[in-house]
Amino acid sequence: MKDIDLVIEICGSAGEGTISAGEILSRFMSGQGFEIMSFDSYPAEIRGFGKCVAHTRLSSNCIYSPGKLVDVLISLNDGHSISQLSTLKKGGILVYDSAPLKPHGEDKSVLGWAEPGTVTYGVPLTMLANRAAGNSRGRNMVALGAVVALFHMDGQSFTQSIQARYAKKKQVIIDANVNSFLEGFNWTKKHIEKTDSISFDGVIMPAGREKLIINGNQLVVRAALDANLKFYAGYPITPATKIMEILSKELPKNGGTLLQTEDEIAAIGAVIGAGFGGVRAMTATSGPGFALMTEFTGLSVMAEVPAVIINSQRGGPSTGIPTKTEQSDFNAAVLGGTGDCPRIVLAPIDTFSCYQATVLGLYLAEKYQTLVVILLDFFLSNSIRNIDIPVKPSQVFLDSNIAPTKAELENYQRYKVTPNGISPRAIPGTPGGIFFSTGLEHDEFGKPDYSDKGHLKMTQKRFDKHSFVLEEAPAPQISDFTGDMADIGVISWGSSAGAAQEAVMLARKDGIDAVSFSSMILSPFPEKALVAFADKCKKILVPELNYSGQFANFAVHIIKRPVERLNYITGRPMASEDILEKMRQM
Amino acid sequence: MPHYDHYVIIGNGPAGNHTAAILRENDGDAKITIISDENIFFYYKPKLTEYIAGGLTKAELMVPGLSFYREKKIRLRLGQKVDKIDPERKIVFLNHMEKIYYTKLVIASGSGARVLPSMRSYADCLKHITTYNQVMEYKEQIQTAGEFFIFGGDLVGFKFIKMLCKMHKQVTLLIYPNAFWPFNLTEKMQEIIVKNLSRQGADVLVNDDISQIIKKEDTYIVKTVKGVEQQVDLVFSFNGLIPSVEFAKGCGLDIDHGILVNETMQTNVPDIYACGSCAQIYNPKINSYTTSIGWANAVVQGKVTAMNLLGTHRVIESVDYKYFDLEGVEIKTTWWEDIEESSFI
Repeated sequence: MKDIDLVIEICGSAGEGTISAGEILSRFMSGQGFEIMSFDSYPAEIRGFGKCVAHTRLSSNCIYSPGKLVDVLISLNDGHSISQLSTLKKGGILVYDSAPLKPHGEDKSVLGWAEPGTVTYGVPLTMLANRAAGNSRGRNMVALGAVVALFHMDGQSFTQSIQARYAKKKQVIIDANVNSFLEGFNWTKKHIEKTDSISFDGVIMPAGREKLIINGNQLVVRAALDANLKFYAGYPITPATKIMEILSKELPKNGGTLLQTEDEIAAIGAVIGAGFGGVRAMTATSGPGFALMTEFTGLSVMAEVPAVIINSQRGGPSTGIPTKTEQSDFNAAVLGGTGDCPRIVLAPIDTFSCYQATVLGLYLAEKYQTLVVILLDFFLSNSIRNIDIPVKPSQVFLDSNIAPTKAELENYQRYKVTPNGISPRAIPGTPGGIFFSTGLEHDEFGKPDYSDKGHLKMTQKRFDKHSFVLEEAPAPQISDFTGDMADIGVISWGSSAGAAQEAVMLARKDGIDAVSFSSMILSPFPEKALVAFADKCKKILVPELNYSGQFANFAVHIIKRPVERLNYITGRPMASEDILEKMRQM
Repeated sequence: MPHYDHYVIIGNGPAGNHTAAILRENDGDAKITIISDENIFFYYKPKLTEYIAGGLTKAELMVPGLSFYREKKIRLRLGQKVDKIDPERKIVFLNHMEKIYYTKLVIASGSGARVLPSMRSYADCLKHITTYNQVMEYKEQIQTAGEFFIFGGDLVGFKFIKMLCKMHKQVTLLIYPNAFWPFNLTEKMQEIIVKNLSRQGADVLVNDDISQIIKKEDTYIVKTVKGVEQQVDLVFSFNGLIPSVEFAKGCGLDIDHGILVNETMQTNVPDIYACGSCAQIYNPKINSYTTSIGWANAVVQGKVTAMNLLGTHRVIESVDYKYFDLEGVEIKTTWWEDIEESSFI
C-alpha cells in the first residue's frame, strides 16, 4: 500500500467556518484509519475578523509533529491566505475561490501571489455555496467537497462525517452543509482537470482499535476526572479556559465542585484550601495567571499541601500573545517564586501524555504533599490527535495520601522528618490529628520556628522529599544509540519533543548519527540520565520555543558543557524540518 | 509625489522576458509584472520536441535566470490567465477576478496551435506540441506508443517526425501543403521532402485528406479520402500557429490574425504595445502586416518594444535572410531562426 503523509491547511477569517471544516476533515481521516495531528490558530479577539488557520497533518504512519510546510492550502479568504502562502511547499496545491462576489483589487488575490509551479485549482466557492443553500456560509463545505473530489477520497463517507458533525443541529443546517459539500464535490469532478499526484485511490487503512479524537485540554479533563479530582477553582484564560469549561459540566456529575473565582490568586488559594481539606484539587491557567498564583505556590510547598496547577503556556511575558504557542514559562515553573521552594514540574511531550501527566500530577501532589505544575502549551492544549483510549488509573493512583497510624496520632507531628521526607498527613477531622499549619517556617509539629537549625532541618526535609519523586517518575525517553558515540544528541522537552524525535529519525535516514532525549519530569530532573546521555554525544542540540534558551541554560548547568541552541518564538509549534536543518549545519 | 510606471507584460516567452529585462536595465523604479497562463518558468519552447522525446531534461529545457526575477524585482504571475483588457481605465482583468492597473501594457502572448476548421470536430483526438503543459500530458504516452499518425507539416512537425523515427516509432505523415505557411509548398519541394522522410523510415502520404478519425479504446482509427485506414496510438496535428489574442478582442485594439502594430511595436491604442508571434508588424516595403515566428525575432522585437516604451525611438528591422534546411529543401526566409542562436537573459 502506498504511504500517505499530507499537511492540509484551511485558511479563512473568523466566522467563516474554517475551524469547523478542519475538524470535520480531521475526524473523517481518523475514521478512515489515518493518524492525524491538527491544530488551529485563530485571533485573540472573540469573533468577526482576524485570520484563522486549521492545520491538519494526516499520515498512514506514526506522526510526531504537525509538519511545518503545507501540501495543500485551501483559501476561504484571499486576504488572509496571501501571507499563509509562505507555508506552502514548492509545487504545493492551492484551492481558491475563483468566483468571489466582487473582483479583487490589485494584489488582493491569493492566486496572484502563488509561487510559480504551485498547482492551483479555482473553485467557485461562493457561487456554489449560494446555489446550495442560498447564502455563502457553506463555502467551507464546498471547499471540502472540492478537496475530497480532487484527491479521490470517499465522498459518501465524508457526507456522513458532516451529518455526524451537525447531528445536534436543525435539519435545515445539516442539509445546507451537506448540499454545499456535494456542490463542491460534483462541480470539481466535472470541471477540474487534475494535475497533481495526490490520490487516496486504493489506500485502505487496516481497521484498528477504536480511537479517541481529542486535544490536550480535553484529555487533561478526562484524566483529572479519572484520577478522582473533586475540586477545581479557576479564572478563565486562553488557552486553558476549555479545561474549566468542560469541568463545569462534568465535575458536578462526578461529585465534585467547580468554583470560578474573581482572579487567579483566589483560585490557587481555594485549591490549596481544598487540598488542605483532603480533597484532590487543581486549577488551570496560563502565563499571566501563573504569575499571580506565585503568591500562593510557596504556601503549598511550605505548608506541604497538595496543589496542582496546569499552566498552558502562550506567548509572553505579560498578556503577550494569547493565541500563539511558546515554551517560555520553564523558568517560572521550575524556579519561579520566593525562597528555596522545591516543586514538581511535569511537561507532557504529546497529547497522549497529557493524560499521564495529569494522573501522575494529582497522585504525586497528594502523596508528596506539595505543589505540582504541569506545563502544557497552546499547541498541546489545542492540537487534536486520534489516540488509543487511555487505560484508567489503578486504585494506587486514586488515593495516595499517607495517613498517620494510630500510634503516630498519639503525639501527632504533622511535619515529622522521615527517611523519604514524607510526613503522614492527617486530614482535618481525623481524631487526634490536630495540628498547626502555616506559611511560616515551623517545627515538626507545625509551630513557627525561626531558628537557623530548624529552618535548615525543614528545608532539607522538603528537598529530600522532592528528590524521592524521581523514583516514581517516568524514565526519560531516549532513542537507541547505534554505536558507542552519537554525532548529535537532541535534548528536548514538552511539545518540542515530538518534533525532535521525528527530526532524529529523518537525520538518520540522511546519514547523521543522531539520538534524542526527552523527559516528562522537569523538576526534579533526571540529571544522571542526562549526563550519561550527553557523555555519549559528540554534540548536543537543544530546540525549544523561547528566545533565551531557558531549558538549554538549565541543561548546560547539568551537563557542564556548551550546547547548540535552536530557539523560535514564531508562535508556531516546533518543526522537525527546522531541527533537521540545524543538525545538518552542525 | 513620485510617479512610477507599472509595466505589465502579458507573456512569459522571449519577447516578454527581453522587454522586461531592458525595461529594468533602464528604469530602476518602475514596477514590472509578467503574466502568463502557463504555470512554468521561462523555457525554450522550440526545444519541446527534444524534451518530449526524452532528449532533454527539464532543467535543460528551462532558460537559466530564475534568480533574475527576484534580483531585478520583476513580479512573475504564472498560471494566471488574462480575461480582458480595459484600455480606457488601463486595467488588465485576470480570470480569477483580480484587476491589475498598468501605465504601459505589452502584449507578448505568443501563439497556439492552429486547428484546421475541417478538423475541429476531431479536436479531442488531436495532439499538439505548443506548450509545456500539453507536452506533459502525453510525454509518457509518446515513450510507450508504437504508431503515430501526423498530418500537416510545419517546422515543429518535421523535427518531431525525425525524433520519432530515431526512436524507431512507426510514423505516417499526411502532408498538408498549406501547413507550410508563410511559404507555399511546391511540387518539387514536396518530392524532396517525401524522399528524405521516407529514407528516415516514415510513411508519407500526399494529395490526400483525412475523412474520419475514430477513437477506439486507447487507439485511433484514421481514415483518408483515398481509402487509407490506419489504427494508431496517437494522432498529431502540425498546421502552424495562430496568435493567442482572444483576450484582446473587443477592447479597441486593431486585430487581424494578430495584434496590428507599427514599426515601433505600438498598437493603435496609446500605451499598449505588442511583440513576438502575437503581433502583426507593419512592413512599409510591402505596405502590409506580417507575422513573425522564431525565437530570435521575438527577442529583437522585445528589445525594440522596451526601447520605445522608454522613449527611445527604435524601428523594428527583420533579421537578415537565413537559409533554412527543411528536409533537403533550402528555404530563404527572414523569419525562421535556429534556436541555438537564442540569447539568454
